[in-house]
Amino acid sequence: MNNVQYISERLWAGNLGNAFVVLSFVGALLSFFAYYLSSKNNSFIKLARIAFNIHGFAVIGIIGTMFWMLLNHYFEYQYVYQHSNTSMDMKYILSCFWEGQEGSFLLWTFWNIVLGVILKRQLKTGEWEIPVMTVFALVQVFLASMLLGVYLFDYKIGSNPFLLLRDHVDFSNLPFLQKAGMVPAKLDGKGLNPLLMNYWMTIHPPTLFLGFASTLVPFAFAIGALWNKKHTEWQKIALPWTYFCILILGIGILMGGAWAYEALSFGGFWAWDPVENSSLVPWLVIVAAGHTMIINKNKGGSLFTTHFLAIGSFLLVLYSTFLTRSGVLGNASVHAFTDLGMTGQLVLYVLTFIFITVMLLINDKLFRVSYIMASLLILFFGLLYGYKRALLMIWLGSSGMITFIAYYKYFPKEKDEEELYSREFWMFLGSLVFLLSGLIITYFTSIPVINKLFGTQFAPPKVATYNNWMMPFAILIMLLIGAAQFLKYKKTEPKKFFKRISYSFILSLLFGLACSIPLYFLTKSENKSVDTWDLVGYSALLVTGLFAVFANLDYFLMILKGKISKSGAAIAHIGFAMVLIGALISTSKKVTLAKNMVDKKLAALGKDFDDRESILLTQGDTLQMGPYLVSYRGKKREGINIYYTVDYYKLDKNKKPEFDFTLVPLIQNNPRMGQSSAEPDTKHFLDRDVYTHITAADMNMDTITKKKNAFGEAKNYVGHVGDTIFSSNALIIIDSLRSNLTKTQYEKNDSVLEVTAVLRCVNTQAQSFMAYPKFIIKKNVVIPEEDVVDELGIKLVFWKINPDDGTIEITMSEKLSNNKDFIVMKAFVFPYINVLWLGCLIMAFGTGIAVIERIRKFKVQS
Amino acid sequence: MKKLHIVGIIVIAVAIGVIFVSLKNTSTYADFTEAISNPEREYHIVGKLDKNQPQIYDPKINADQFMFTLIDNKGISKQVVLHKSKPQDFEKSEQIVLIGKIEGNEFHANDILMKCPSKYNDGKAQVN
Repeated sequence: MNNVQYISERLWAGNLGNAFVVLSFVGALLSFFAYYLSSKNNSFIKLARIAFNIHGFAVIGIIGTMFWMLLNHYFEYQYVYQHSNTSMDMKYILSCFWEGQEGSFLLWTFWNIVLGVILKRQLKTGEWEIPVMTVFALVQVFLASMLLGVYLFDYKIGSNPFLLLRDHVDFSNLPFLQKAGMVPAKLDGKGLNPLLMNYWMTIHPPTLFLGFASTLVPFAFAIGALWNKKHTEWQKIALPWTYFCILILGIGILMGGAWAYEALSFGGFWAWDPVENSSLVPWLVIVAAGHTMIINKNKGGSLFTTHFLAIGSFLLVLYSTFLTRSGVLGNASVHAFTDLGMTGQLVLYVLTFIFITVMLLINDKLFRVSYIMASLLILFFGLLYGYKRALLMIWLGSSGMITFIAYYKYFPKEKDEEELYSREFWMFLGSLVFLLSGLIITYFTSIPVINKLFGTQFAPPKVATYNNWMMPFAILIMLLIGAAQFLKYKKTEPKKFFKRISYSFILSLLFGLACSIPLYFLTKSENKSVDTWDLVGYSALLVTGLFAVFANLDYFLMILKGKISKSGAAIAHIGFAMVLIGALISTSKKVTLAKNMVDKKLAALGKDFDDRESILLTQGDTLQMGPYLVSYRGKKREGINIYYTVDYYKLDKNKKPEFDFTLVPLIQNNPRMGQSSAEPDTKHFLDRDVYTHITAADMNMDTITKKKNAFGEAKNYVGHVGDTIFSSNALIIIDSLRSNLTKTQYEKNDSVLEVTAVLRCVNTQAQSFMAYPKFIIKKNVVIPEEDVVDELGIKLVFWKINPDDGTIEITMSEKLSNNKDFIVMKAFVFPYINVLWLGCLIMAFGTGIAVIERIRKFKVQS
Repeated sequence: MKKLHIVGIIVIAVAIGVIFVSLKNTSTYADFTEAISNPEREYHIVGKLDKNQPQIYDPKINADQFMFTLIDNKGISKQVVLHKSKPQDFEKSEQIVLIGKIEGNEFHANDILMKCPSKYNDGKAQVN
């Protein structure tokens, strides 16, 4: 951008990286066209495969170059400068790599390549290689273009990770770039966001992105099937892949929850944050797809639904990329990525894949051509004349309608009615419940997008809104998970079925009510905002959740005879039910330990204002907090973190405090966030977690050491006899005033007036100390005589009498050492949260077994 | 009619129901004028901290109460009572979103979102 010469820039790295970027894009493009052409002429297939491998090689080249630059601190490059520095721990180098958007796109691309190469090999010479890999290559074209960073007319395409610092808009004004001869040796980067220096952050993103990447497999098959017009065969091959996706994406999401619980001060593991939602929804939809695929495999049918769900899951991944990367969420999310100016590009990608899907759904040639023409017309009109929002809505609406028409006109449908007492009917229903809940979450999350489209001003919904809406779905799904296991495909004898599930149901009803009645109805809930309907909902979810656990346990032990390899589904369902039960109990029975006294005036404002949750702890003082006595011991600084040590005591049998444990929550003065963030500390017990985080504290470390014996600023108080002055450590009561003269004596005489204020100072241990400051007038001159209470470190000066209203004025100053350090913190108990984590492990284990079993079965079949 | 068609109709009905019910109850972004004219309703107010007005936070009296003055996007300022402890680095905030309602002469907020200037792009900051 400027012509200044720079020495010792290692330009070769950027050139090499850019060569790889271009190669990766060209390779993907070539592979796409060659695969597409080989559907007509088989001789292109070799070229297509080679081009895909070249693309893969180039992406690995990009990643390798970036790691080389990060490891060797090439700070003349923007990405290295912005995401790493020399002082950071090199074990976080992986986090540096995917902290930025370019890096995370690369991670996604990388996993797509890994999956693509495996799939290419698996499908080689079969009829599915060409359609599936064409879709794969097209997705790679889009992802590779995200790194190009070139301008096409006025549109910027992609964001290049090999940009030099001096060429980057945000950094080119840095002072050391303004003169020639930059010396990179002296340069240090901005470093990694300290929030990401957490072990979860080294494993959560790659797992999540592998999950995102693997939604591409069922998508590619479904699109390929629409293209090939072979709607059933692909499901056999895609089934193990789909369950792999369910497993990995599920683990990735739960890891995110674990990270939030451990490192963020959400006060929980799930906050319905847009970023969390946008990874949850594709999972819900792919789970639904996995189930309709099983229906299709065992009984046939559900073809349209399976295609719809498999395609929908990937489109939702793209949509969530758009949501979190385009900056559209703005105020709605704490951790959405910043806008890199790729909004238009991301929208275009989402729309392109919707377009391809709808186009392939249309079987009629004339219809299809007119759809293509109309879409292109709308696109050009929008680009040339504006009205983008209206056109977008017209296009989306008509595409939706065409999908509906295509379903009726072209899709093979079941002739006979489903049996009511059949597994497929209820499993299908379960899939619909998942889809519907996913759509509702998407709708809530998309409110900022709706505002953009319609110019409305709706605020994003609160956590409670999500919880309330999801509750009935959770109850329904638990019932279905429990009952459907005992239904056979096609037809089941109702009597036998009801008899079988009645055991589990009665057991869960007894057990569930025995737990939930004392939990929810007899003990008064501390949270007043809970109404009876919520309590009924909680109890219903507890009962149905237990039913899902018991029924699947019964199925696993009695029908499958405990044979692990066949029981993936039963085990995974037990795990899922446990996750929901754990989430329910730990959230609904979350106890606030640190509770302030309720201000009646504020309580009158309504339930929203009645949840005082913070408590003030002064250094050295011990306070009662729930069953604990807590004491704030002090703080220490380590790097950018300030640790606050809080000791917890329990009363032993003789009611004497006994040390229990120490928690050290911290405040991080995070230079990257522009504001400091609090990181909680949690004590884990088998049946509960005690969770503490700081909401307000003095981060200044100097206050402790300053002149301790000096007095601070004096404060003036106006009052009558009987009034009270508050110091930081005592109450000062104006007991009485004594005068050496009566009023008349003073007025007659010209002698000295001496008024003594009798002040009683009561400290927190109820000890009294007397103070006698004097107000003296000698020949109309006021000479006050101060008094100091050494025990309390308080100086009192009585300096004015207002004869009009009889008030007196006293100033009080305290020794600096009186202002003890304090923290304001919140503390919660999460009961039985380990049920949730155990449920996660069981669910992952069960799904893992299902994946292995599906692969084994598939191999036996073919 | 097939059973699944009935199910499908129920699904669509629920989806439409959710949209209507939630839009009716949802809070909206607004300014103080609108919040004052509708004191029962919860609003999201976007604005800036008035740095010339005092901020009162005394955790000894109530650790969950913090008072300050906010200037909304239309330039109207109002005393705010936030029913939470004072957020860390509050003074640094360049934009504030408050969630709450008008009560008498004050705006009572039960939640706050702050945007602080990030040092992410310090090159940019130096231009200004």
